[in-house]
Amino acid sequence: MSRLTRIVLSLLLVALMVVGTIAFIFWAIHASPRFQAILVRIVFVSLLIFLAILFARYFSLLWFAYLEHAERNVLEPRKQVHLPAISVIVPAYNEGAIIEETLESLARMDYPAYEVVVVDDGSTDDTLERAVSWQGRHGAGDFRVLTRRNGGKATALNTGIAASHHPYVFCMDADSRLEARTLRRAMRMMLEDDSVGAVAGNVKVANRGKLITKLQALEYIEGLNMPRRAQGFIAAVNIVPGPVGLFRRQALEEMGGYDTDTFAEDADLTLKMVAAGWKVVYEDAAIAWTEAPERWLDLVQQRYRWTRGILQSLKKRKGLFLRPFPDFPLWLSVLEMSFEAIVWPILNVYAQLFFAIVALLFGAGEMLLYWWILLTLLDLVAAFVTVSMEEESLSLVPFAFAYRFFFILFLDVVKMFAALDELFNLGMGWEKLRRVATT
Amino acid sequence: MNVIDLLITIVVVTILVTIVLAVITYVAYKLRLARQPAADAAPGDELRYFVKYEPSLPDAPTKDHAPET
Repeated sequence: MSRLTRIVLSLLLVALMVVGTIAFIFWAIHASPRFQAILVRIVFVSLLIFLAILFARYFSLLWFAYLEHAERNVLEPRKQVHLPAISVIVPAYNEGAIIEETLESLARMDYPAYEVVVVDDGSTDDTLERAVSWQGRHGAGDFRVLTRRNGGKATALNTGIAASHHPYVFCMDADSRLEARTLRRAMRMMLEDDSVGAVAGNVKVANRGKLITKLQALEYIEGLNMPRRAQGFIAAVNIVPGPVGLFRRQALEEMGGYDTDTFAEDADLTLKMVAAGWKVVYEDAAIAWTEAPERWLDLVQQRYRWTRGILQSLKKRKGLFLRPFPDFPLWLSVLEMSFEAIVWPILNVYAQLFFAIVALLFGAGEMLLYWWILLTLLDLVAAFVTVSMEEESLSLVPFAFAYRFFFILFLDVVKMFAALDELFNLGMGWEKLRRVATT
Repeated sequence: MNVIDLLITIVVVTILVTIVLAVITYVAYKLRLARQPAADAAPGDELRYFVKYEPSLPDAPTKDHAPET
């Protein structure tokens, strides 16, 4: 199918949805009062079903997240345990504004032995020069810098992994700063069980000066970390996030490192590992602070890439959908991933649009309002619980109101378009997000 | 207009405006993406850290000059 055909087909599908909805509404306006009453009843039932799905989603995630949290609190911290050396891989492309902050955080790690391998991915700014000035010994870490022709993040990570030496590999982003205890805490989870192939860490938003980044800070806690914590309970985390992930080298080598054919190399590698039988767990005390996009267009770009990357990874392993056994947790995790990436965004956008129009035309506004208030209350409760679990500032909780008011819907529209583009296999490029130094 | 009607209006308008703004932002992103390759394809960038190695070939016989068998 040619590119033009794919574009035309995707536009036709969107046009069909819009025209179909408008035609239905016009038809409904001129329908008999009896039919209109039936329509309002259908909307009422749909609202209830929608709410039930959302309640089920939130409460199952919260319950599993709580179980994981409770289980962690009864684990006795190991004393005097031998901590094996770690190779930290830092792929960097045009991160001149921030790379030194990242390396500074790595120099302060509370860990006995580690090496840091910075892989400059053919940057066109001063990333390489700045990184090179850090070569040598800093604290307990040996810092090295490699440079290569620009080939994408996955290739840069593979280069770093191949050039590193230690039995455990920590992959991170060049725009993330680690807390001093991150390596130690991630390693503790790894050493608990030999079948653990990777430990996913906790990503937090560092720049919280604007509404858009405050909302993302809340979203990372409520929308990303809560599901990850819940998945951690069944040791089937489906994304080890790019900014903070510890891997067993043996597992990485068995998997052949990162694949370069998706836009979410972290999700892709994680799915590959879980499908191969490795456990992937979550450690909330292994914290990385990252730079969130500060412009709406950059946020769209990031989420578009994430969604398409996740869908590409799922497409590569579509056989998993048909195999609930023997690995039921894996199947559950893949289903949840698909639900969050495709089903939920499309359902949310279409349902809200439909409900809003019906409310306007048929006087069902009061019903819509109470439904919306219930959703917002649900978000406030979820925000309160998850923010408390992470021991974050409660000042983030009121942002759950704006989160429900427009933020989630905005992102779901973008995810919906990304899913459509992926469905029709429209081309996309890898753009660099704008970075700013925060200190 | 009572408070309930006002709240209903706010919710409905917010839903519709958010969807419209999201669509506009998505279109703007696609336009920016369409313009990106031309800006990124600056000649010579990819060779900034590498010197292209061009081996000097020995005087091997080419097809034209190879002895016929």
